[in-house]
Amino acid sequence: MDTRTEQNDILNLISANMGIIKKICYSFCFTETDREDLAQEIIFVLWKGSTKYNFDFKFSTWMYKVALNVAISHYRNAKRSRATIPFTKTHLEIADQSLDSPDTEVNFNLLQRHISTLKELDKALIILYFEEKSYKEIAEIIGISETNVATKVSRIKERLKQNMLNTIK
Amino acid sequence: MEDTKLEEIWKAYSRAMADAKVLNRQSWSVNIKTFEYLQMHKAKSKLKSLGNFKKWAVLLGILWVLLLGTFVYGNDFRNMYFSISVMMIMIFTIIAIAVYIKHIVLINQINLSESIIEVQEKLAELQASTINIVRILWLQMPFYSTFFWSSQWMARDIKFWLISFPVTLLLIALTTWLYMNISYRNVDKRWFRILFGGIEWVPVINAIDYLKEIEDFKNG
Repeated sequence: MDTRTEQNDILNLISANMGIIKKICYSFCFTETDREDLAQEIIFVLWKGSTKYNFDFKFSTWMYKVALNVAISHYRNAKRSRATIPFTKTHLEIADQSLDSPDTEVNFNLLQRHISTLKELDKALIILYFEEKSYKEIAEIIGISETNVATKVSRIKERLKQNMLNTIK
Repeated sequence: MEDTKLEEIWKAYSRAMADAKVLNRQSWSVNIKTFEYLQMHKAKSKLKSLGNFKKWAVLLGILWVLLLGTFVYGNDFRNMYFSISVMMIMIFTIIAIAVYIKHIVLINQINLSESIIEVQEKLAELQASTINIVRILWLQMPFYSTFFWSSQWMARDIKFWLISFPVTLLLIALTTWLYMNISYRNVDKRWFRILFGGIEWVPVINAIDYLKEIEDFKNG
């Protein structure tokens, strides 16, 4: 397969998984500008790195590794460039009518707010858990043992639950 | 709150996103060119900024070594103390340049599709290792107090033995101590925080703290 075909295939795969990128951006960034900035960086790194992607392996695992690595590095970078072109509505915005109810967004925003207070690695781990990745896959993406994943997931979930309850009260 | 409630919130939003008009393929292809252009500029201040800083350090280091080389060549060993001092400074600078070049190679080898721990650890280590170069560079400091020595001065002037020589001894003791103690393990010590308290050290200190965090994360 030539490089152009591969990159087009990757574009299709990225398009299909755009929701993942958005959720990662929500968890790692506080402002809309920052989210757009990060989303563009993730998409670019994925697209640019597509020549390194081995089609024999699962796309989502590769994508999560790259996207989370970029997100963490972006988050840790104190000096951030603001050279960003705004995403158009067709790119990122969720159509209002597609939401189940206003509560969905309120609850999700609340959950994201508490996730954003976690340390970067905990954040990456819990996003993967919520994305229904198996402990085995999470362990592979993060680079720790499955037992460690299980322990951390239960600890982080408990903390998030407590924080959510405290906010609702 | 029920045990599955958090997962439900996440899923509900995921469903909403899946149903949304997320991407227009045609405009996407056009924008990818814009992304490329943008990122060429952004790269300077993001992930690659670390590499760029080191490239500048290598360039300045080489210029400094060349300048010192001309001093040694010009002196032609007429004053042994001067020539040896300058050569020692050159050696330490060359070591630092070599370490920086090694870092630049490592930065270019970082593969973002490796596991998160691997990538983050490498990035943090590269940033934190600036401390190791500082340790090496400190060792050249005593030679800045010896390049003006001369045999005549030693033989005829008591001030050499009362001032210059003790200052050099003091610098040797100080820089040796710093070389042995500037390390990640002392990052929480007060003297360390004072020495590296400037704003330019913030990313390095943060990287050291992050390395500890990664280590704790790995160990559960």
